[in-house]
Parts: sequence; structure tokens; C-alpha cells
Amino acid sequence: MGHKKAQKAYKWFRYVLLVPALLFALAPVYWMLTISLKSEVDQFATPPPWFVFTPTLDHYYDAFVTRGFGEYLLNSAIVSVSSTICALVIGTLAAYALTRFELPWRLNRHLSLWILSTRMFPAIVTAVPLFLMMRDLRLLNTRASLIIVYTAFNLPFVVWMMRGFFADLPRDLEEAALVDGDSRLGALVRVVLPLVAPGLAATAVFCLIISWNEFLFALVLTQTDAAMTLPVGIAGRVTQYEIKWGVMSAAASVALVPILVFALALQKYLVRGLSLGAVKG
Amino acid sequence: MGIEFRNVSKHFGGASVVDDLSLEIRDGEFVVLLGPSGCGKTTTLRMLAGLETVSSGDIFIEGERVNDVPTQHRDLAMVFQSYALYPHMTIVENIGYPLRVRKFDKAQRVERVNRVAAMLEIESLLERKPRQLSGGERQRVALARAIVREPRAYLMDEPLSNLDARLRVQMRGELKRLQHQLGTTTIYVTHDQAEAMTLASRVAVMRKGRLQQFDTPMNIYNCPANRFVAEFVGSPSMNFIEGEQVTIGIRPEHIQVFSEPRDGAIAASVYVTELMGNETFVFLSVGTNRLIARAPADFRAEVESKVWLQFAEDKMHYFDPKSGESLTQRHKL
Amino acid sequence: MPKSRRFFSARNRREWLLPALFIAPALAVLLFLSIYPLIYSITISLQQETSSGVVWTLGNFTRLFSDNFFLIAMVHTFVYAVAALGCEFLLGLGLALLLNSRMGGRGLLRASLLVPMMLPSVVVGVVWRLMLNPDFGAINGTLRRLGISTEGLTWTASPKLAMLSVIAVDVWQWTPFVFLVLLAGLQAIPEEPYEAALIDGSSRWQTFWHVTLPLLKPSILIVLLLRTMDLLRVFDQIFILTEGGPGFATETISLYIYRTAFRFFDFGYAAAMSFVLLALTNVISVIYIKFLQAKEAV
Repeated sequence: MGHKKAQKAYKWFRYVLLVPALLFALAPVYWMLTISLKSEVDQFATPPPWFVFTPTLDHYYDAFVTRGFGEYLLNSAIVSVSSTICALVIGTLAAYALTRFELPWRLNRHLSLWILSTRMFPAIVTAVPLFLMMRDLRLLNTRASLIIVYTAFNLPFVVWMMRGFFADLPRDLEEAALVDGDSRLGALVRVVLPLVAPGLAATAVFCLIISWNEFLFALVLTQTDAAMTLPVGIAGRVTQYEIKWGVMSAAASVALVPILVFALALQKYLVRGLSLGAVKG
Repeated sequence: MGIEFRNVSKHFGGASVVDDLSLEIRDGEFVVLLGPSGCGKTTTLRMLAGLETVSSGDIFIEGERVNDVPTQHRDLAMVFQSYALYPHMTIVENIGYPLRVRKFDKAQRVERVNRVAAMLEIESLLERKPRQLSGGERQRVALARAIVREPRAYLMDEPLSNLDARLRVQMRGELKRLQHQLGTTTIYVTHDQAEAMTLASRVAVMRKGRLQQFDTPMNIYNCPANRFVAEFVGSPSMNFIEGEQVTIGIRPEHIQVFSEPRDGAIAASVYVTELMGNETFVFLSVGTNRLIARAPADFRAEVESKVWLQFAEDKMHYFDPKSGESLTQRHKL
Repeated sequence: MPKSRRFFSARNRREWLLPALFIAPALAVLLFLSIYPLIYSITISLQQETSSGVVWTLGNFTRLFSDNFFLIAMVHTFVYAVAALGCEFLLGLGLALLLNSRMGGRGLLRASLLVPMMLPSVVVGVVWRLMLNPDFGAINGTLRRLGISTEGLTWTASPKLAMLSVIAVDVWQWTPFVFLVLLAGLQAIPEEPYEAALIDGSSRWQTFWHVTLPLLKPSILIVLLLRTMDLLRVFDQIFILTEGGPGFATETISLYIYRTAFRFFDFGYAAAMSFVLLALTNVISVIYIKFLQAKEAV
């Protein structure tokens, strides 16, 4: 009987541990959200009010209408979506070929590892030469430069994830399609793609998140309002002399909304994706 | 015409999976490739389908060399061991897929699919998805997909092995009837010798990539070409008595067991008896040899008791102890 | 019997066309945007501008040894990586072990814990600059309410506390990741070894050490590998939180390279440093992978 009691106590202990963990994870974000909604007076009040204050949308208006964050938002959206689509198309085709075709000289394995290794580079290593290359191509401060770079950035990830999904698919089905008379391309479109659609969607969302959040390349390649993405816009204002915290928070709050939506939708695949498929959460 | 394998071999790395196989299959035949796992029978089937490349040798379908013809143009139909039904399509779409891919129009597709569904008694399942079907139902759908096209030949890769025993026996009979009705050449792979014996017009027994014997089931049973074939076909399998000059083989049904001594009978001791209901299996020891005999249902004997055996002389087989080749001269049926 | 695991074996030259076509675009993109930049980078790292034009020299590399800032930045990076990794690992493992069971609200837990690591790094920076603001930030506010003096606790503005602050922020952001991966790894371990250990009379600690840890090794190594790679190249959060300051207190190697390239426009030197960083991360990842493969062989 003592054992059962200990078990129960243990269970309660676990719940007790859970609450601070949750709070710890979420409280800072909540704090920022409140700053974005507080008037300036409330922001600087001591002690700072956590829950009781009159909310205002002034900062949001200020950020997105007056100070041009709306444009940064648009840039982020365009760049993220475009690069994701490119990376998906190019990467999925490559992943399919690497999984299903046997190449000579053990190329399958070498190519896959090589593709993965490009993901391991510290960003700064390629950021410096890419800056110079884009400068030479007169592509600095354009959305195009970011789209190109983000596509390359996301490509290894897409290939790695989709390889896993293709490998999980029994090859019987494609063979049956061939025997039934379909061409390889037809089998890919009619049989394979519908079955990896969930994996494709998950990978797409991952790419969107990665592109949306990306900072270093955007910082290096875009310095003018024309192409600046949201993260760069936020950072730029933070390092200025006068920091308008309300505006900052408003912009940051908007920046994290799509991420949260996507992350919640994606939960199942998240662990698998972040650990590069090593662990199936 | 039909299908011909001419000196076909398949290597993977250093290993030879199919070794110099030559077979001629006549139009309309039901040929079974029989052998233990790893003997190369599935690889042979897949080479015919075009799903594996041929390392050396040629494959002909109706006189045309097909080694370089891609799978989708060979006009064959295949039933996979796992059925390989498209999980995201309904049964109708599954069966209709080969027609859709060949650009049949909707009306034709509907008509053919319905006809085939009626033949296999699966009309009620047409709107469902594969995951909603039982094993037996899925198997019929796989069959339906194969016959809806009227191809040159059917290829079947152990289609019954995933079914439970009773269903398997039932489907065996239905398959045989179906093939008889349709009259299309069929090549069927299995490791189950009972399936081979009941379904085939001719059986090709394979072992370690090599063809052992290609003949009618009765001839394979009565005149096995070597010890392997003799032992593989028939259940319970043939008894062997090893000797210096020759190995003697005798099937359980050709040994008569007597409780009393007889002229010319061999003494033996009973190891154990198994009452099967319709007959009795008697496990015997003769010296260092172990034999199995089939006795009438009412035969009884105590463990360790003495019995007397008589072998049917005209049913005895003789094999070379080293090579396993048959030394028996026998009149073939 | 070795069976062909692939679907298509190339029959003749015509059969190679399709896979080649499928892979070519990806290879092209990576070649131009990952490989070529590296080559470009090597080239400029080996060049220096002199009065008589551009010369090939190892000057950029030899300069590394005498550059105190570089060495300090390396030290900072290592301290940051080791401290953050240690905390994240211990906390993550502890939490995973404690919460490894069927509990209600698991979905909610996972969703909430995702938040920190999914945030854009700049947002993390903004969030914590707000939290750590000495005057109106929540941290000091709470401390004051508890009666603790916050004199001198200027966090990101304090030379003594800045490194601690940025490490703490990283721990906040990434412990959930370690937790989730290790939890998934724990839950993949079947019941049988535990049952066998129980029957064999093993204590809790012994079970943990001899059963749980070895079976968890692959997950541990993966998470350590990924975090180490990320920590060594850290840039975003520190840029927002402290910009490497105050002074040089939190300057890590990526920040120093950035500054060299984009404030001082010394691209050659920046390239040289990049290669040292790249070589470093490669060596470390190879070591990890060797460990990982050795374990899998067992």
C-alpha cells in the first residue's frame, strides 16, 4: 500500500513540477505581449503590473502604419513563401531520386551526407562571401537575394526530411503502378505524392518557420527598407539610441504569431524535424 | 509462343541469385515456380516483370526480346505478396487504375470494373478504401486489378501466403477456376508445395538459383529428378535411407506397417504414432534410420513396440549419395 | 541473400537521365550557394591588399595568433557553449526523466514548451531585453517585490553579469528542445529491459545507469551534437541582447567575424577566421558522429 501512495505522491510531484516549467517558458513571452499593449506610463511603472492595466493598440498602429513595419512584414512573407516553394520543389525531386534510384559509386550515400553537411556550416562562414557575391551581382538589398539564399538554406533540410518520408513508403506501390502501365513520373504524381502529402506539408511549414525567423543573412544582405525583413527591422530599431519598447514589442508580437500557429499545427513532426529525423517524436 | 527464359542469370555483387535458367512456358499454361526462400523464384518473376535487370541471358514474351523494354510497356499484370493496393484510392479507383493509365474513357472503365468485381464477388466493396477491407477481400481486389486489363500474362508472388489456412485453401480453388475461365498464361511463385501441386499445369522447382526440374506435378511427384525435389515435394516428405553406393527413397504412403512378422518384411520399432483422424502417421526407427509411414486410421501400436515393414518395390527411388541425382528408371506419365 | 534495396537499377544510359534530372537542380543550387562561396572565401582569405596590388599570402592566418580579440572571442564562445550545453542537458534530462510517463495534458505541455524555441531569435532578444531591463523589467521588478536589492544588477549592461545573462537566455530558449528530444528517446525504450532489471533486483540508480542511459545514448548524442553546432555559431540572440558588449564582454566568434567584415570591412581576415570556425565545427561534429556510429554498432 505504501508503494501505491508513493506512486500517487510522485504523480502529484510531477504535476507540481510542470506548472513552473510551463510558466517559465511562457511568462517572458506573455510579458512582452503586455508591454506591447500597455501605455507608456504603465510600461515604466514600478512595480510593473502583470495583469491589471488598460490595453491600447497605439503601439501596433505606430509600428505598422507609421513606422513602416508593415512593409517589413510583407517582405518577410514574400521571401518566406517563395523560398519555401522553391526549396520544396527542388528538394523533393532530389530526395525522391536519392531514395528510389540506385546510382553508381555509392553516390546516394555520399550525396546525402554532403547535402546534410552543408546544413552544419556556421551561417557566418557563407554569409561573408555571399555578401560579396551579391554585391558583385548587384543583388544587395533585394528580396530576390534573400529568396535565393533561403532556398539554398532550406534545401538540405527538405532533402533530408523528404528522404525519410519516401523511405517509409513501401516500394510495392510504385512497382504496382509501373506494372499497371504508368510511367515513372505518372507513378510519382498519382501514387507517391498523395501518400507523402502530410510529410510534405510538415516540411513546408518547417521551411516557412526557418525562413521567417532567419536573421543573419537578412541582416547582411538587406539594409534598406525595400527588402528588409521583419527580424532585421526589429533589430535595427533596438540598437538605435532611443528605444521605443512598445513599438518593438508590437512588432515582435506580430512576428511570432504565424510561428505559433504553425508550431501548434505541426506538433507531431516537430521533434523529428528538429533532430533531423534522428528521433521520431 | 508464350514466355521463354534463355540462360537467364542474375548477380548481386559476387552472389549469383539466379543461375543459368532456361524455361519455356506455353501460352495459357499455369506454371508454378516452387522452392525454398532464397532460391531465386521471386527474382525470376521480377526479372520477367522488368522490376529487376537481367545480368545475362534473354527473356522473350511472345517471341519478342524484352530485356530492355521498360516495365510499363510489357503488358503484364502482377499480384504482389502484400497486394500493393493504393491506400489513398477507393477500391473502384484501385481496380480502374491500369485502365485510367492507359487512357480508357470513363464509360469503358466503369463497365470493365463492374464486370470484374462481379466475377470476384466484391461489388459491395467498391466505394471503400483498402484499410477497411479484410485480408481476403484485399486479395480479391488485387486479383481484380490484375484481370481488369486482360494482359498477356499474370504474375503472382505468393499471393496466398498472408491468408489464414482455411481461406488459403478456399482461394486456391477459386484461383484455379478463375485461371481456367480466363485462359491467360500465369506464372505463380510459392514455397508451398501443396499450392504448386494443386494449381500448376507444370512446376519449375528451383534451388539456390538453379532449376532442378520442370515437369507436370504428377511427374515431379512420381519421378523426381534428384533428392532435393523428392524431399521438397510431398507431405510428409519422402524417407531416405543412406547407403554407401546408393540412397534409397520411399514415400510414407508406400510403406505398409504390419503388427505381425511377414515374409520379407523388415523389423522396426515404433518411435511414436500420430492419430490424424483420417489416417495415422507412424514414426519408426530402423537401426539408425528414422522413417515415417502412413497407416490406416485404425492402426494402433505402442511406443517401442516391434512392427514389420514392407516397401512397395515399384515405388522405391534410388539416388546417388554424392550428387543427389536420381538413378531410378521410371516410366513417365 | 542480398536483395536490391533500390527501386530502379540503371539499365542503360537512358535510364540515368531521369534521376540525373531530378537531382541536378538541387546540386546546382548547393554548388553555387554553398560550395562556391567557400571557395570564394578561401581565395580572399589568402589575399591581402598591399600598396603594389593584391598579393597571395598567409598573413590573414598568421594574424590570428597575435590577435587578442580573436582569442578572447574563442574563449567566450567555448565558455558560452559549455555552460549553456551543460545546463540545458542536465535540466532537459532531469525533466525528461521525471515526466516520462502517461500524463494528462501532454499535448498542452509540448505545445507550450515549443514556444521558446520556435520564436525568431530577435523576438527572444527583445523579450529578454524587456525582462532584464534594470529599471522596469520583470526580473528586477520581481526581485524588488521580494525585498532583494537590485543594486548593480544591470544584467546585460554589466560586464560581470552579461555573459551569465546571455547564457541564461539560451538555456531558457533551448532546454525545451533537449527535453523534447530526450523524452522522445526515453519513450522509445521498450518495457522489457526495465522489467528484466526489476526481476534481476536492480536498484533505481543502477537501472538508470545500466539500462536507461545506454539505451538513450543515440538520442543524447544527437541532441548534444545539434546543440553544440548551434552554440558554437551563436549570433542572433547575443546581437540583440548585448551586441557583444558591454565592451567585449560577450563577443563570440561569429560576432567578431561579423564585426570584422561589416564594420571594419576587412573581408580577408573575416574569411580566415570563418575557416577556423568551420574547421573547428567540422572536427567536433566528426568526433560526435564517430561516437554515434560506435554506439550504433553495439
